Amino acid sequence: MPKHSVLIVGAGISGMRAALAAKERGSDVALISKVHPLRTAGGTSQGGVNAAVRDGDSAELHATDTVRGGDYLADQDAVALLTGAARRAVITLDHWGVPFNRDASGRLDARGLSGATRPRACFVDDMTGHAVVQVLHEQVLKAAIPTYDEWMVTKLLVEDGACVGVVALELASGKLEAFTANAVVLATGGCARVYEPTGAAYGVTGDGVALAYRAGAPLTDMEMVQFHPLGIKGSGMILTDALLGLGAHLVNGSGERFALKHAPTLGERAPRDVVARAAEEEIVSGRVEFVALDLRHLNGDDLKLKLPLTSNIIKTQAGVDPAKDTIPVRPVAHRTMGGIRVDSDGATGVAGLYATGGCAATGVHGASGLAGNWLTEALVFGERAGLAAAQQPARSEKGIDAKLTEERNRIAKIMDKPAGSERAGVIRSELGRAMRRHVGPVRDASGLQEAAKKVSELSARYRQAGVTNKGQRYNYELAAFLEVESLLTVGEVTVAAAGFREESRGAHVRQDRPARDDAKWLAHSVASFRLDGPAMAAKPVVITKWKPEGRRY
Amino acid sequence: MQATFKVHRYDPEAGGKPTSQPYTLDLPDDATILDGLFKIRDELDGTLAFRASCNRGFCGECTLRINRGGRLACMTRVATAKNKDGEITVEPARFARVLKDLVYDVDRQLWQKIKAVEPWLQPNGGVQPEHEHIVPDEQLRAVRNAMKCYYCGLCDDGCSVIPFDNTFLGPAALTKAYRFIADPRDHAQAHRLRLVGEPKGMWDCVHCYEADEHCPRGIDPTARIIDIREKAVAMGIKSGATNPQVARHYDSFAASVKKTGWLDEGRLAVETWGMTRLFGLLPVAWRALRRGKLPIPYLHRKRPGAERISEIFKKAERRPS
Repeated sequence: MPKHSVLIVGAGISGMRAALAAKERGSDVALISKVHPLRTAGGTSQGGVNAAVRDGDSAELHATDTVRGGDYLADQDAVALLTGAARRAVITLDHWGVPFNRDASGRLDARGLSGATRPRACFVDDMTGHAVVQVLHEQVLKAAIPTYDEWMVTKLLVEDGACVGVVALELASGKLEAFTANAVVLATGGCARVYEPTGAAYGVTGDGVALAYRAGAPLTDMEMVQFHPLGIKGSGMILTDALLGLGAHLVNGSGERFALKHAPTLGERAPRDVVARAAEEEIVSGRVEFVALDLRHLNGDDLKLKLPLTSNIIKTQAGVDPAKDTIPVRPVAHRTMGGIRVDSDGATGVAGLYATGGCAATGVHGASGLAGNWLTEALVFGERAGLAAAQQPARSEKGIDAKLTEERNRIAKIMDKPAGSERAGVIRSELGRAMRRHVGPVRDASGLQEAAKKVSELSARYRQAGVTNKGQRYNYELAAFLEVESLLTVGEVTVAAAGFREESRGAHVRQDRPARDDAKWLAHSVASFRLDGPAMAAKPVVITKWKPEGRRY
Repeated sequence: MQATFKVHRYDPEAGGKPTSQPYTLDLPDDATILDGLFKIRDELDGTLAFRASCNRGFCGECTLRINRGGRLACMTRVATAKNKDGEITVEPARFARVLKDLVYDVDRQLWQKIKAVEPWLQPNGGVQPEHEHIVPDEQLRAVRNAMKCYYCGLCDDGCSVIPFDNTFLGPAALTKAYRFIADPRDHAQAHRLRLVGEPKGMWDCVHCYEADEHCPRGIDPTARIIDIREKAVAMGIKSGATNPQVARHYDSFAASVKKTGWLDEGRLAVETWGMTRLFGLLPVAWRALRRGKLPIPYLHRKRPGAERISEIFKKAERRPS
């Protein structure tokens, strides 16, 4: 039975950052992950990592933009922590070897991303996340932190209210093994795969969110799902919104720049939720599938120089010559602001269980996260969670063998069950399409009721489903089957939270409640696990110095 | 749109031989190969094993051989890949050990080799902790170019040496080494050049340029290997500790061209290997002789115009490197 002081579940950006912090504290830390660290989802982040490093910018301005961008649902103490630590997080990356683009004097350059009043995103061409993932992995190798690659965690071991480890499935062999630890840090990423189409990686199935929820950790702001306005045709690929920062236009069928109707000053450079909603309204009212992204007025050479990978994706995947034609785009599910409710050290409320990165909700994104803040959050709060986890005391390992046997029996039952006619993959697809239709960028009460009905129907069908693949080695059907269970949990809570919040704020737009209601809803939704469905409650937002005001862009 | 995927199936632990299994699918016109593989696994055959992650051409996880060419499955359209009969072959990488179906041993093929080049920055500590390194952007451009690598391993898959010697570090790991050697923030250049100068390292590259042909990111790994070789020579680190013949080969090659205007192969063999080691090469010499490739008596004369070539050398030696 492998044993470590700190076990980090998920080897993406936040997970590796947490591991490095725990290691620095001298902790015996290990990473366990469904995919190899270099294949994790943060590598697709293109735009940059936000930090006030340029003259004329400050942590204060960064915080103001973040609070406003989040439509005043952000916890302002957490935002101050984020923006205050951002610069150091970026400098650390530079010292570790991230080749950030420099200005003429050799200092860190920064680009303007949507919702920012200053150029604030430190970047590596248009592959910032890709470079950050590589460099963090380099440091993980240097620190000789053990990684269990291609192990999928199926259960949290909780004894006397404290998390003492996990049970995980080794994909290569199909064996289930218990891992014990003084502290477990969930860093499994978000849940955007509950939508179809989505720009999220295949593994972003909310595993950690569902595991923590069932173990008793509350989820928060699950209704807050960010749709990215620049989803191209096909199964959900997105283009970086750095394009909008460079001055690209979004136009409807009559050639009108519709974003200006919603954001007269910033237009397409308003935060993602504003632009995505504007695009969604055009698509619904115009009865069309796509709006058009227009790059024709931009300098093609400049584009290739600044966004080389994006230029290539446009050419090969959208099949468009951007100098001649517009690119059809639509909003697709991208990030989830909500997740496991954590404090500033990643503590979940279950002793010994921490969460960070996409699966956690630190409260910094509020109702809509700004482009470039996601990487900063993963770095700043990943480090904090790793440091806190490293200080957890050892716990009793009594009862672990019994729990491992119980979990082995549960998985064996799934494997032994006749497959029947239901396929988990089909259920996943139906769930994703129903979520997009009813719990998309624009929602209403009757649609949410439909969605709730659909999720419970799919859950019932899931209980009938089995796996056809009875093999042990590399049984991806079994892995996908277990992921669908997480997705159904995430779907159920997201629908409940969207029904609970009876107002429109940030990414959550209710057609039947079109106004923001500060009197009642300067509050997070909090969902706790009950056998008969999520118990919803509201928890006031932390407001320090930024008083809520209208959001005009 | 209909297409037939002919997919490599193999389970080494179940025994038997690899087979190609056909699956006929109905797919949307803009579907990718990866969409098709997921449709197979979700709806037709749950036993098919393949890897995938980002679905955006960033992570390299779904690297496969599609119609015998290395590609990312998520970035390859079915409509363009299928032949006139609507067929597409889908196979794992060529030289890696197959673990199951389309899943192959990336660890041995790639991750272990990359680990061997000490792939982490070794700065000199001269930077102030509160500030970034001040570096001209031009110097970092080369680093960023190399870091476009998404570890698909297609350069190694195309490499001419790896099929004969899979212990060769290969272009992917050497490109990773280049990423640090080119980084102005790294201060272990000499150490790194000695490390990758050992046997199975950069001197084993035969500069066939296949890696450049196969790299989907335009990194040109062969050119990067030549960059670090040139750097090594310029720094006087012409070989690792255990392969001094590399440096002797280098020097002998240059000396004979400088003196006679062209390569003196006899001298090269003697100076590279030394008389004792040369005896070991007698079978090679015998075969060369039998095939008329070794002139007897062996005479090496000056080329016409050798003086002018010698002048070029002298000029180059005067120029600061």
